[in-house]
Amino acid sequence: MKAKISERQLNKYSKNMDNTISAKDRIIAWPRMGRIDIPLKALMLSLGAKIVIPPANSNEALELGVKNSIEGICLPYKLNLANYIMALEQGANTLMMFQAPGSCRLGNYTKMAQKTLKKMGYEFDMVIFDMYQSKMKQTLQAFWHVTRCINPFKYYKGFSLGFNKFFAIDEAQKLLFYTRPREIHKGDAEKCYNKWLNIIDNTNSISGAKALVKRIRKDFANIQINKNKYVPVVYLLGEFFVLLDPYVNQDIEKTLGESGIEVQRQIWFSEWLEGVLKPSFLNKKESHRQKCVRNARKYMKRAIGGESIETIGDAVYAAKNGVDGVIHILPFSCMPEIVSQNILNKVSKEEDIPILTLVLDEQTGKTGYITRIEAFVELVKRKKIMRNSEMKKKKEDLVNV
Amino acid sequence: MVRQENLKKIIGIPRAISYYNNYTFYYGFFKSLGIEIVLSDKTTTKLINEGSKYVVSDTCLPVKVFVGHVINLLNKGCNTVFVPSIQSTGYKINNCSKIRGLPEIIRNVINRPFKMIEPTLDKTEGFGIKEFCFETAHQLGIRDKKLINSAISSGREMYNRFLEMAKSGIPHGEAVENAVKGNYVLKKMSLVKPLSVVIMAHGYNLFDERISMNILNKLNKMNVKAYTCLDITRTDAINSIHELDEIQYWANELDLTGTAAYFMLNKKIDGIIALSAFGCGPDSLMVDEIQYHANERKIPMLHLNIDEHTGEAGFVTRLEAFTDMLERKKRKQLLQCNKPKNIEIAINKKQIQEPKVLTKVK
Repeated sequence: MKAKISERQLNKYSKNMDNTISAKDRIIAWPRMGRIDIPLKALMLSLGAKIVIPPANSNEALELGVKNSIEGICLPYKLNLANYIMALEQGANTLMMFQAPGSCRLGNYTKMAQKTLKKMGYEFDMVIFDMYQSKMKQTLQAFWHVTRCINPFKYYKGFSLGFNKFFAIDEAQKLLFYTRPREIHKGDAEKCYNKWLNIIDNTNSISGAKALVKRIRKDFANIQINKNKYVPVVYLLGEFFVLLDPYVNQDIEKTLGESGIEVQRQIWFSEWLEGVLKPSFLNKKESHRQKCVRNARKYMKRAIGGESIETIGDAVYAAKNGVDGVIHILPFSCMPEIVSQNILNKVSKEEDIPILTLVLDEQTGKTGYITRIEAFVELVKRKKIMRNSEMKKKKEDLVNV
Repeated sequence: MVRQENLKKIIGIPRAISYYNNYTFYYGFFKSLGIEIVLSDKTTTKLINEGSKYVVSDTCLPVKVFVGHVINLLNKGCNTVFVPSIQSTGYKINNCSKIRGLPEIIRNVINRPFKMIEPTLDKTEGFGIKEFCFETAHQLGIRDKKLINSAISSGREMYNRFLEMAKSGIPHGEAVENAVKGNYVLKKMSLVKPLSVVIMAHGYNLFDERISMNILNKLNKMNVKAYTCLDITRTDAINSIHELDEIQYWANELDLTGTAAYFMLNKKIDGIIALSAFGCGPDSLMVDEIQYHANERKIPMLHLNIDEHTGEAGFVTRLEAFTDMLERKKRKQLLQCNKPKNIEIAINKKQIQEPKVLTKVK
């Protein structure tokens, strides 16, 4: 009986693809999250599809999303829905979204969005990357369904362009976070980053895309920085969407970077993508998740969905490796992160590391938010100075003896 | 060795979350393993306040209540507490993160020395009921295979008896008591009531008299028949979800969408009442799903949100207003028909068709 049910469910999911729209007429759109539009655009264009990119998340989008979704749902869904609506208004007729069952409410997003949009009177086809079965196969199938492209070279080109652009964007962001607190002329790093986003967007050859990471590293190395500056390091942990979208987290990295703190975000889209799409036997290095599970064992014995175990594992890792503080951000009523918020209290006490939790929702006021971050920054800095002076004293004592 | 055998093993079961659906199973299982059970007191406002001191404020009410019950057990002097982690009840049918991580929350939130029995039920990974029970027994230091197997079957027996009794219309609390005592009572027949509603709510919200503000009794006093998740079988619930062209996504979904869908499709109910805790993630989606289908079928629906501050007066007012509205609607429907007398008779006949004989075993 149970086996039958699961089969039935699988069938229902695969039924979702319909052929009412021919491949030529398809205009494809997908929800926004940070800058994932750049690599996906390259991928879709090289497969020969027509695309629409909805405007980046903003107050306007959020208002639209809040208006059309239910009260209790989490913030990422509201923004996703707004992206869909905006894309449909711009003429899209095919929406793409991935869904992973068993994580949290994310698995229900597509189902709900479909219903809501149909109720609003839009006509469209939603293509879902279903992570129920083989992931790579599902992904390829979804792209084939949308574009009907049979040329394997185009797939190769598209995927290598896309992947390399993902890596390039993440590399640029990492360097930006490193350079921003240390730069001598304010705004240099930001300018360089924006310039590279443009270049990444305009790269259209495979060889060019592969060389991007190296070129970005070289260019960032040219920025004048103060290497001797005391820069406290803060880990940024929490929910996936909130971490990756600068509108939702109100560009917390910038706020922190400008007040002289190096941010190390622990969740990267390229890393996640690699983990999802790469077959497991090719992974020789310990993946981020495995590392977190190992570190979190004292506090958590089982994964409970979402990024909860990653949050705990990274916080423990941070404490053990001399990181000065942890900022944990989550959207309001996010289920897995509330569990980790409960656990982080204990981690903070036992591992002796300051942790700030920020809950974001559509009514978060920017001033209060910044005040809390500033207070935390002061605390982290003072703690760092105290620790350094203690170390110096110890060293002096040793020398004197 | 002798000492260990002589020591009576005691396990404390908090009266929250999985207690309400599975207590009879736990009782049968632990009793035949020779372990004594200590239950925590019934939920009170004081107990909720005690529990909410320990967790962050965004945590939902049922978890706060659970923590309160664990504290209550510890205060009673019980040092072994049963905190199961029910991850999934079918392939890729997962539970809410907070229920999955219940042992993690308890371990990190309560800083007192005590032993936690934390078995995992995860059918996605292949840990079924049997593995769940074996893990429980192993953590309690029992390794006799035969004993554990017989304990599982006696637990199942008791659980099935409880389900049968509850399905015949006996209230939850009484059914649990009877099942635990070994009685087998079936309700003979029920009075026909003018209005009937279905309540979609998790067992741990609905059958907890403090959390649900005794909604079942209140509806009974208002002369409204309330159907709950105990009135239908598991297969019925799953089938009716599929009939609505939905899939089961959450492990606890059968209590809510399954029940509501079954009564919406098969029986003539006048309204749906959704009772959910504030900030409950799965509920927000499930209530919305049923709302969508109820709108299509033009069935009125009331959504009651509860948290630890919910005032009883406002709660009752909303219930009364809803039932008044249902009454008015029904009266209007009956008046619109040409022959109101015939219809009344038809309704009565349908509902009195299923009287059951009172039987008593033992």
